[in-house]
Amino acid sequence: MNPESSPPPTMIDLIKVSKVYPPNIQAVSDVSLTITKGEVVFLTGMSGAGKTTLLRLISRMEKPTKGMVDVAGMDVSKLSERDIHLLRRKVGMAYQDFRLLPERTVAANIAIALEVVYCPRSLIEKRIRELLEQLDLMRKYNTRAGELSRGEQQRVSIARAVANNPEIVLADEPTGNLDAETTARVMALFEHLQRKGTTLLIATHDRALFQNTSHRVVELRFGRILSQSRAEGSDDDLFELAPSLLEEIEP
Amino acid sequence: MRFWAVVVRHACRNMMLTWKSQGMTLFTVSLSVLIFSFFYLVYVNALHIGEKLGDDLRLVVYLDEDPSLPLQEEYRHRILKFDQVERIEFISREQAFKRFEHILGPNNDVLTGVPTDFLPASIEVYPVRTLDSLSRIKRFSDYLQTLPGVLKVQYGKEWIERFYAFIQLMRVITLLSGSLLIMTTTFMVAHTIRLTLFARQQELELLRLVGATNNYIRTPFLLEGALQGGVGACFGLGALLVLYNWIALQFAGPNAISLPAFAFFKWPVVVAIIGLSTLLCVAGSFSAIRRFLHL
Repeated sequence: MNPESSPPPTMIDLIKVSKVYPPNIQAVSDVSLTITKGEVVFLTGMSGAGKTTLLRLISRMEKPTKGMVDVAGMDVSKLSERDIHLLRRKVGMAYQDFRLLPERTVAANIAIALEVVYCPRSLIEKRIRELLEQLDLMRKYNTRAGELSRGEQQRVSIARAVANNPEIVLADEPTGNLDAETTARVMALFEHLQRKGTTLLIATHDRALFQNTSHRVVELRFGRILSQSRAEGSDDDLFELAPSLLEEIEP
Repeated sequence: MRFWAVVVRHACRNMMLTWKSQGMTLFTVSLSVLIFSFFYLVYVNALHIGEKLGDDLRLVVYLDEDPSLPLQEEYRHRILKFDQVERIEFISREQAFKRFEHILGPNNDVLTGVPTDFLPASIEVYPVRTLDSLSRIKRFSDYLQTLPGVLKVQYGKEWIERFYAFIQLMRVITLLSGSLLIMTTTFMVAHTIRLTLFARQQELELLRLVGATNNYIRTPFLLEGALQGGVGACFGLGALLVLYNWIALQFAGPNAISLPAFAFFKWPVVVAIIGLSTLLCVAGSFSAIRRFLHL
C-alpha cells in the first residue's frame, strides 16, 4: 500500500454539535465539521455567530449540550477532568482576551506552556527566543506582559499557543489588534506550522486573512454553518450549505 | 526529577507571593511547636525524675518488737499477697542503731551510753519502680498499717502526692498544647494556602488550559504546607534548645541546685516532632486545596 495515497487522518471531528447556555441561548446548533491533519481552516462569521464557542468546545473549555466532539482521537465530551491535560497538550489556543499573566514577563508567559510538559530549561530558552524573533518581540523578552500594547499581548498569546508544537492550534481573532506587517508575520508563523503538519483552526472577522489563500473557510451564522468553501481564488466551490439559514437570509 | 524541580520552583514562587502570611504562619507554627515541646520536655523529664527518685522510694514499717523468723516469713507472705515489691528488708533494733551510728559519722559519740535497742525494729519495703507505684504507695501504706505488730508506716507522703499531682497536671497541659499545635498548624496553613490560591487563581486557570496535570498544580501547595510544618518545627525546637541551654547554664556550677535527670529530647523524638508538624501542615494544605482549588 502506498502511504502517500492514504488520506490524512482526521484531527477534529464535530458531529451534530450543539451548545446551549442558560437560560436558553443557542450558541452553536447542529454543527458538523471535519478537519484533517495539517489543514488550515478559517472560521468566519459575525460577532455572536458561535466561532469562539466552537473553539471552546474543541479545547474542552465547554462541554457540548448535544453531539460529539472528537479531537486527535479523543472523545472530548467523555474526557475526565483527570485526563483533560492529555487533550490540552495537543491543542494550543490563542485566546481573544489573551489570558496573559500581567505581572510576569513575556518570556515567563510563554514558558508556562513548555514547563507543564517538563521541557528542559535550555530548550525553553531556545524556543522562546525563536518565537519572539519570529513575532518581532525579542526586545520585549523581559518586559512584563501588563506593560505591553494589545497587539504585543496578542502576539505573546500566539507564541504561547504554538510554543509546545501542538498538533492543533486554535486561534481566536489572532490578528484583531495587529497592523498589516505584524499580521503578515503571524500568518507566516502559521504557514510554517502548517508545513510541519500542524492543524490550524483560525476564527477571524478579517476577510483579508483568507482572501488570497487556498485554505478552507467555514462561515458561521447564528450558531450554524452557513457555508464551507475554499477561499476566493481557489478552484473549489461552495460545498456545503445550511438551507434553512439560506432561506432566512435570502428570502 | 524535572517534576520536582518545577514543583519546588512553584512552591518558592507561592511563598514569595504571600510572604507576609507565610511569615505569620511560620511564626505561629514555631510558637505552637515551642509551647508543645516545652511542656512535653518537662513532662518527659518529670517522668524520668520520678523513676530516678523511685529508686530511693521505700516504705518503712516500724514494729513494736524484733520479729522472729516465722513472723518475718508471715510478714513477707502478707506483703507479697498485696502487691509485687522489689525487695523486703528486715531491720532489727541493733541494725537500726548501727545505721544511725554510721549516719552520724564523726559525731556518733553522742550515742555513748544510749542503749543499742532504743530504736524500733522495722521492715523496709521497696516497691516496684514505676510511676504508678507512686500512686499505689498510699494504698500500700494503709494496708501495711493493718498488719499485726505495726506501730507506724512512713514514706514521703506529701512529696509523693505533690509530685503525682504535678505529673498529672503536666500530662493535661501537654495534651492541651498538643491540641493547640494541631489546631493552629492546620488552620493557619489552610488559611495561608487559601490566600495563595486566590493570589494565583489566574495562573492556575491558565496552567490547566495549557495542559498541566492535577498533580503539577496541587503538589506545590502540599510542598508549601510541608515546608511550613518542617521549618516551623525546626525553629520551634531550635528555640527550645536555646532555652534549655540557657536554663542549664543558670543551674550550672558547684553552688547551684543540680538538675540530675533533666535532659533534652533524643534524636528520634526530635524527628518525630518535626514529622508530626510537617504532617499536620500538609493535612491543612490538603484541606484548603480540596475546598478552594477546583480543577
